[in-house]
Amino acid sequence: MAAVAVSSLLAQFAPVAPESPNAEGIRDSWLFISIFVFAIFVLVESLLIAFVWKYRRQKRGRFADAAQVHGATKLELAWTAGPVVVLFLIAAFVFIELPGIKDVPDAAAGEEQLEIKVSGRQFYWEYEYPNGVIAVDTMQAPVGVPVRLEVSAPDADVIHSWWIPSLGGKIDAIPGTTNETWFQAETEGTYSGQCAELCGLEHARMLASVEVVSQDEFDAWLAERADDPAELGQEEWEGVCAKCHGMNGEGGIGPRIAGSPTLTDAEALGNLVHNGRGAMPAVGAGWTDEQIRALVSYLTENPPSGS
Amino acid sequence: MAARAEATVPAWQRGRVASWLVTTDHKRIGILYITTSLVFLVLSGLMALVMRLQLAQADADIVGPERYNELVTIHGTSMVFLVGVPILAGFANFLVPLMIGASDVAFPRLNALSYWFFLFGGSVLMLSFFADGGAADTGWTAYAPLSIQAPGNGQDLWILSLHLLTVSTVAGAVNFIVTIHNMRTRGMTWTRMPLFVWSILLFGWLIMAVMPVLSAALTMLLLDRGISIGPVDVQTDFFNPEDGGSAVLYQHAFWFFGHPEVYIIVLPAFGMISEVLPVFARKPIFGYKAIVASTVAIGFFSMLVWAHHMFTIGLPFSLQAFFMISSMVIAVPTGIKIFNWLATLWRGNLSFETPMLFALGFLSLFVIGGLTGIYLAAFPIDWQVHDSYFVVAHFHYTLLGGVVFAIFAGLFYWWPKMFGRMLDEKLGKWQFWLLFVGFNVAFMPQHFVGLEGMPRRVYTYANEEWEGYNLASTIGSWIMAIAILLFAINVLKTRASGRRVGNDPWQADTLEWYTTSPPPPHNFDDVPYVTSARPLYDLRRRLREQRGEREPA
Ligand SMILES: [Cu+2]
Repeated sequence: MAAVAVSSLLAQFAPVAPESPNAEGIRDSWLFISIFVFAIFVLVESLLIAFVWKYRRQKRGRFADAAQVHGATKLELAWTAGPVVVLFLIAAFVFIELPGIKDVPDAAAGEEQLEIKVSGRQFYWEYEYPNGVIAVDTMQAPVGVPVRLEVSAPDADVIHSWWIPSLGGKIDAIPGTTNETWFQAETEGTYSGQCAELCGLEHARMLASVEVVSQDEFDAWLAERADDPAELGQEEWEGVCAKCHGMNGEGGIGPRIAGSPTLTDAEALGNLVHNGRGAMPAVGAGWTDEQIRALVSYLTENPPSGS
Repeated sequence: MAARAEATVPAWQRGRVASWLVTTDHKRIGILYITTSLVFLVLSGLMALVMRLQLAQADADIVGPERYNELVTIHGTSMVFLVGVPILAGFANFLVPLMIGASDVAFPRLNALSYWFFLFGGSVLMLSFFADGGAADTGWTAYAPLSIQAPGNGQDLWILSLHLLTVSTVAGAVNFIVTIHNMRTRGMTWTRMPLFVWSILLFGWLIMAVMPVLSAALTMLLLDRGISIGPVDVQTDFFNPEDGGSAVLYQHAFWFFGHPEVYIIVLPAFGMISEVLPVFARKPIFGYKAIVASTVAIGFFSMLVWAHHMFTIGLPFSLQAFFMISSMVIAVPTGIKIFNWLATLWRGNLSFETPMLFALGFLSLFVIGGLTGIYLAAFPIDWQVHDSYFVVAHFHYTLLGGVVFAIFAGLFYWWPKMFGRMLDEKLGKWQFWLLFVGFNVAFMPQHFVGLEGMPRRVYTYANEEWEGYNLASTIGSWIMAIAILLFAINVLKTRASGRRVGNDPWQADTLEWYTTSPPPPHNFDDVPYVTSARPLYDLRRRLREQRGEREPA
């Protein structure tokens, strides 16, 4: 029983099950390092326990001298050289895995790479697809296709970090720079993660997810979103407004906004989100008229109840 | 010398409180440092308890995001700047002159100044909770541009506090360096110097090398936030990308200081372990010169690894590879220390009083923190676990499981020298086991929850699968709180009725045990000529030979 519990716990001592080749390369590197880490851990802790037991005082005098050994040059050389060899092996393995982790694979014959711009913002993720479609927090992606992400943040925003554990490592979204990462999801499903760099009050609520669907479903979704931005309005409300003002506009760390005339006034709302006001940051700096209209039309049809 | 000093002390300075306020005695300043740091340890520990309560359950509502972010920031800042560095400076103050056979540090008045700057800076940080807009809430790293944009005065007070603490730390470092270089007693060559003194020498040099960089970064941050000098408003854009600054520049400056800072704290803890283990094993330290060399090597390489905190900012891969290798290089001298400590136990006559328990606890826990560091040094893996709870677990294993255990080993070991009374062994052993168990219950699960995707510095989480790990952490934090409470009780009990001891209750090896417990203001009436790294061992052996006694069996 105990052995089973220990081994299942050990199996969990690794990054989450990978769903993309880069996450897999990272996990493989991890498992390789684990061999040495566990070996050294067991070696040191068992020597410690063995020495504590074997050389305990027992019947000797409390202050009786033990063996007056001052050192041993050969041992020093051994435990200097040993770790050097181990670290060399680890570094070599990491460099062998590295290309598979960092390089976006070439697109399969007949298929394009998909490129999505990811913008980290207080406190939501904004995605821009090649045809100009915008989405918030939930990303759609086709299965099996390499997706290249250009990750950044608006100049006036702060640093965030893009992280979906099963789809690879994280990369920071830094104002004024664009970083790149990628994934190629192997199975359909929803993969979640969240912002990993403290970015202000609602950092904890800056969740992200990637919905991986078939290529056909993805194409259909992209075409539909290009025609009808109603869904975008809802995403904006939930991802941008509600995190501070409550899902029903009842107020949270930001004031209650249910019933406010600004919500349905495109000009006033545009002004507010473009420029911010008081403690509220310019959450919609750079938003297009279309993005504002999507929010207004969503709020007109679904006025927040306030409770 | 002593008599003359006492004669010139004006009457008003001889009062019970006044004598502490005006003291320039390194021992009293050391005790002031240690006591003040312990108070800050309790305060920052309480902050951690509140954070753990908030995180015990998913979607809890005990403290809101504002307060949580303030707690996370001040807990981290305080543990590093108000506990880690100054408590070790306190030990250094008390011990270095005694260990090298000197009557005080080189600049006693500067020493007092550095303590009062520490108290002042620490008070500014703690009182900043009451500032307009609350305390700083951007993490102990205060990354720009978040810290530039932070409203209120909390961030400004955080900068002020760190500026004061930097002055205090640098003044202290100068003092230790000059003292160690110039004031060693007759016969104490570099290779006969106690290993703790070696660690303080590196502590001093590292502080001199990197603290000015932090000061510069803080000043630039302050100017970026904007200040007014009379009618002139100054507002720069060093780190502000909106007007051409570089957000990443701040991170380089911060971590050029920040990584060596870890070793500024860890090296003296290593030094204390190297003093305690041999005394309780009745052996000389194994590989004295190897340990000295590894201390110097760690100090040097610690200045070449800073960007391993920045693997996710999109550095060129060649740079990431460099910083991976330099970080791995540090593992080698660290391993040398661990193996030498183990070899010190080998064939020993081990006795398990509380200082030894804490030293062994340190050894067993620090290894874990060191090993998880290997994963973090491998940059592609760091992309996965950076800024997750895995990192929180890693650095708590090195700083709490490592440094705090070493500090308690030191407190229990040197308490009789400082106050002439032995801390209670029974309470001490209870404290050790509670702290050891509580620590592992609190921090072992954080490795797993981090690997599952929980980022650090979040005030809440929605994922219910993370609840079990977090609840365990919270329970562990309260077990640790009981252990710290036992220490407080122990201190009070010992003050009232602790067993009085002579000069050298542990039959130890270094010079501080040659003088009385507590030592007189001038430390020594005479200092024996030092013939090895273990002057008191040599002295005891010579005495036995003179009396014609045999080795104790
Ligand atoms: Cu963020």
